[in-house]
Amino acid sequence: MKRFNIVGTDVPRTDAEAKARGTAIYTDDMKLPGMLYGKILRSPLPHALIRNIDISRAASLPGVKCVITGEDTPKIKYGNWRLFPETQDEYPLAVEKVRFIGDEVAAVAAIDNDTAEEALELIKVEYEELPGVFDVDSSILPAAPVIHDYCPSNISVNRKIKYGDIEKGFAEADYVREDTFTMQSVSHAYLEPCSALAQVDLDGRITLWTSTQVPYIIQCLLASTLNMRENDIRVIKPFVGGGFGGKMELRAWEFCAAFIAKKTGRPVKFTLSREEEFLTGRRRHPMKIRSRVGFKKDGTLVAKDLRIQLDGGAYNAMGPTATFLCGNFGAMLYRYPNYRFHGEHIYTNKPPASAMRGFGAPQSLYATEIQMNLAAEELGIDPIDIRLKNAQVSGDKIPDVATISSCGFIESIKAVADMSGWKEKRKNLKPGQGIGIGCYSFISGGVFNWFNTQYPFSAAEVRAFSDGTVHLLTMASDIGQGSDTVLKQILAEELGLNMGDIRITSADTSMTPQADLGSWGSRVTLMAGNAVIDAAKKIKERLFGALSARFNLNVIHEIECKNGRVQAVTRPDYGLTFGEAVALVQKANRGEPLVARGSYTPRGKGLVTPAFGFGAQVAEVEVDRQTGLVEVKQMWTAHDCGTVINPRSVEGQLAGSIQMGLGYALSEQFVMDGGKTLNTSFVDYKMPTAADMPPSQVVHVDTYEPEGPMGAKEAGEGLASPTAPAISDAVYHATGYRCMDLPVTPEKILEGMKKD
Amino acid sequence: MRLPKFEYFEPKTLEAALNLLTQNGNNAHLLAGGTDVLVKMRNGRLKPEAVIGLQGIEDLNGIHFDSGKGLAIGATAKLAEVASNPDVLKHYPALAFAAGVMANVQVRNMGTIAGNLCNAAPSAENAPPLMAMGAEVALANLQGDRRIALHQFFRGPGLTAMEHGEIMTAILVPFPVPKSGASYKRVSARCGVDIAAVCVSAWVALDGEVCKDVRIVLGAVAPTPMRAVGAESFMREQTWTQELIETAAAQAVQESKPISDVRASADYRKKMVAVLTLRALEQAYERAIKN
Ligand SMILES: Cc1cc2nc3c(=O)[nH]c(=O)nc-3n(C[C@H](O)[C@H](O)[C@H](O)COP(=O)(O)OP(=O)(O)OC[C@H]3O[C@@H](n4cnc5c(N)ncnc54)[C@H](O)[C@@H]3O)c2cc1C
Repeated sequence: MKRFNIVGTDVPRTDAEAKARGTAIYTDDMKLPGMLYGKILRSPLPHALIRNIDISRAASLPGVKCVITGEDTPKIKYGNWRLFPETQDEYPLAVEKVRFIGDEVAAVAAIDNDTAEEALELIKVEYEELPGVFDVDSSILPAAPVIHDYCPSNISVNRKIKYGDIEKGFAEADYVREDTFTMQSVSHAYLEPCSALAQVDLDGRITLWTSTQVPYIIQCLLASTLNMRENDIRVIKPFVGGGFGGKMELRAWEFCAAFIAKKTGRPVKFTLSREEEFLTGRRRHPMKIRSRVGFKKDGTLVAKDLRIQLDGGAYNAMGPTATFLCGNFGAMLYRYPNYRFHGEHIYTNKPPASAMRGFGAPQSLYATEIQMNLAAEELGIDPIDIRLKNAQVSGDKIPDVATISSCGFIESIKAVADMSGWKEKRKNLKPGQGIGIGCYSFISGGVFNWFNTQYPFSAAEVRAFSDGTVHLLTMASDIGQGSDTVLKQILAEELGLNMGDIRITSADTSMTPQADLGSWGSRVTLMAGNAVIDAAKKIKERLFGALSARFNLNVIHEIECKNGRVQAVTRPDYGLTFGEAVALVQKANRGEPLVARGSYTPRGKGLVTPAFGFGAQVAEVEVDRQTGLVEVKQMWTAHDCGTVINPRSVEGQLAGSIQMGLGYALSEQFVMDGGKTLNTSFVDYKMPTAADMPPSQVVHVDTYEPEGPMGAKEAGEGLASPTAPAISDAVYHATGYRCMDLPVTPEKILEGMKKD
Repeated sequence: MRLPKFEYFEPKTLEAALNLLTQNGNNAHLLAGGTDVLVKMRNGRLKPEAVIGLQGIEDLNGIHFDSGKGLAIGATAKLAEVASNPDVLKHYPALAFAAGVMANVQVRNMGTIAGNLCNAAPSAENAPPLMAMGAEVALANLQGDRRIALHQFFRGPGLTAMEHGEIMTAILVPFPVPKSGASYKRVSARCGVDIAAVCVSAWVALDGEVCKDVRIVLGAVAPTPMRAVGAESFMREQTWTQELIETAAAQAVQESKPISDVRASADYRKKMVAVLTLRALEQAYERAIKN
């Protein structure tokens, strides 16, 4: 293993103190002189034509400064898949039609929140209600109501993958099973509700502070929907209280804040309430998964035929990407010589589902992992052994996807079996006790460019100063995952500086280098990290040149940046402090500052991702067989995220993943009545709390990813997948109830136990 | 949502509060911890013109225990104070548990038992243990005081036997008779910060192995917290056996009238009435024999 100074240590997070003290400023904390408060009028119906909107009473309410409807806007559709404009199906405010309860119909800006809310009640909308569809089966029936005119089938995306010879594969199989799984929808439940504040400057340009994962995408899409030029929009990302995939698109309130700011000349802020977030917010896709897998007698996988229908809700949102990825995840983790996938993204009259931590993997891998356990049981093989037999290894080629570089999957499975005492425990389970396993593989960022960015995938600029400090500028977005800290660590390591020597400015589209696709798909550490290293290397070249000239070094000397110095490796006395070296370069250039720009775009890395993370997790549960309540007693995790840049951050990601996985497995779901979300508060949306968290142990498997910065790859998003199958499998061993339709609720457990 | 315009009063004496309540008629609403009232006002379900805070009234927040008279919980005593009171913990563990497990830390530090009862939600968690232990509530108006048994207090969701102009001043729980014990059992989806989907409380008084007296109270399975009187009378004067309590639990299920909602289906609730009643009776029995 390569040795590092700052990388690999528990450096305190850059934002930790401000957050602990409550001094971190989030969008909703901001107030500008003359600022107006915005509120959105939402559709109370799941599917209806808008016949008329009367805003006159609202507009004349004292304190109301602006009321807009879709008719006032340029009516330009948007969506993250710019490369395929037909997938862009959403208007900032509804035009002629609403498609789900919560669809944005009008917006009001007033001198305070209460007035704005009162004004909403004065807007009169005449609807003509249309029949709605609320599940994928009814939505694809020939007679089903059409949700978007452009898409009469209600199937907006079809995605197919095929390699090997699927028929031949199944013909060779000794054992074939086919199962159907369904998964519920869950909320990101980030603790900071969405918030956006827009201001117009003297020449009509717009600055938008917004709680987002993707400032650059917001800049582009806001410009296009406002009919403005990209550079007329400046997007700044303040502190963000979590995203988990729920803040990676342009949203109505961002558009409305900017549009109304332009119209009134006053700053406008919109902040969603928690009820709005739950009632109408983005969510994880419910899926219906039919999976047929074939094995040899000895447990070797020979074929998989996977069919997934995604319940996309009323708009595409990030659904196309989820449709694409869940098919890729279906072929990851294990070796499938013959594979076929068909995914369909289906519209329904429900709040749009979108990206959420794992992006199709938690659903797809739930099916994979439960089927592995079912097969293991029927073939009489230990679940650990059947996984070891089929595990992907370094050098494996996933056709049309990538060749796997670093891979610590087998080590992870072995380590987790060891630390959990798997074999012993499985033999000694008492009734009500269970132990189960779940594994994952995940991408370290996407290679695809459906957004059609014209810039590198990630970029960094490093400015070096003669006082020994540097300034790192990057559009990478720290949304609480800690990228500011990690990027500073990488830069400090590369330049031989301390964390305190580095100033960082991130995620301001007018200041930070073009561009970055945002924080999603576990791309930031690898991609922005590589961009930082690229910039740092260019700085070093210049410093090394200056040092070489200053000491008249033989050209064969190696030079290094270490401990705040720039020096010849074998002759450290031929050296200067970092600041002195910078001063020298600056002098040689007649005062020009020492600045370098670096970038990263994955090239020649297949179609999906430059690197894969892996891991395995074991859960131990105790089930009250009379109430069906599940207590998770312990979690064990062994995973491979390449070089661990900040152990405490990675452990934080793991804890957060377990918390989310726990909810996904056991307690979280949107309770729906047709298109209406019934549980719109944390009292009834059962997100686990600190008190529900099981004790947890972790092993980081030691690998080095050649494509990653200092050997690092993804951590934290892949981990969102194994918890649900591990817990579900443990519940099976405790009760005999095998869950094929998440979540594993007490009611289902009792029902399932009755059947045995 | 904008809080409706209202005038806020903070009387220092009970008499002043009663006067304000009577003067303002139906437009007045009392506020203890506000954890129910403010939620309702915020979402527009409650629009009082006068809000009368009870927190400032002297001596209304006491928790007094006396081995003769039993326990008196003042109307503004906080849930957290009740849950951690040494006398409550020692003599009324079922109540300490209910008040300490419900909601979350913040709500327990603001909310009161009286508020929980007067709000009269079918799921009010302090109602079952208090009813099981035979609690009474003291009500005052300008004409004088009265006491009524808690099991006669609830009339429907949000409805109580209180008349306008009345304030609940205290909750009174008798001193536990020898060989009696009470318990409280609940199920909720989360282990912390959650509201019970079903809850059951039991109180038993033993005479040797005979069940002299018993009360079984079910929460969140009917429009009000309810006593399973059929199950109770089935058990009274019977010798305590496993079969007896199992049959009583089955009888309690018959008496419950749950609905399906976001928290649980009616069917699951019925099943839980059986399980929790049995467990509550078992624990009450164990406490009784030790008492
Ligand atoms: C997040 C959250 C979680 C919750 N979880 C639970 C839970 O798990 N279990 C549960 O049972 N409840 C729960 N609740 C409901 C609530 O917290 C309790 O009912 C609490 O005990 C109410 O007490 P309070 O003092 O805040 O009442 P308030 O809101 O002040 O008053 C409630 C009602 O009682 C009336 N009132 C109050 N005092 C008197 C009096 N002395 N005389 C006459 N009328 C009076 C008020 O006028 C009002 O109508 C929860 C609430 C919230 C916000």
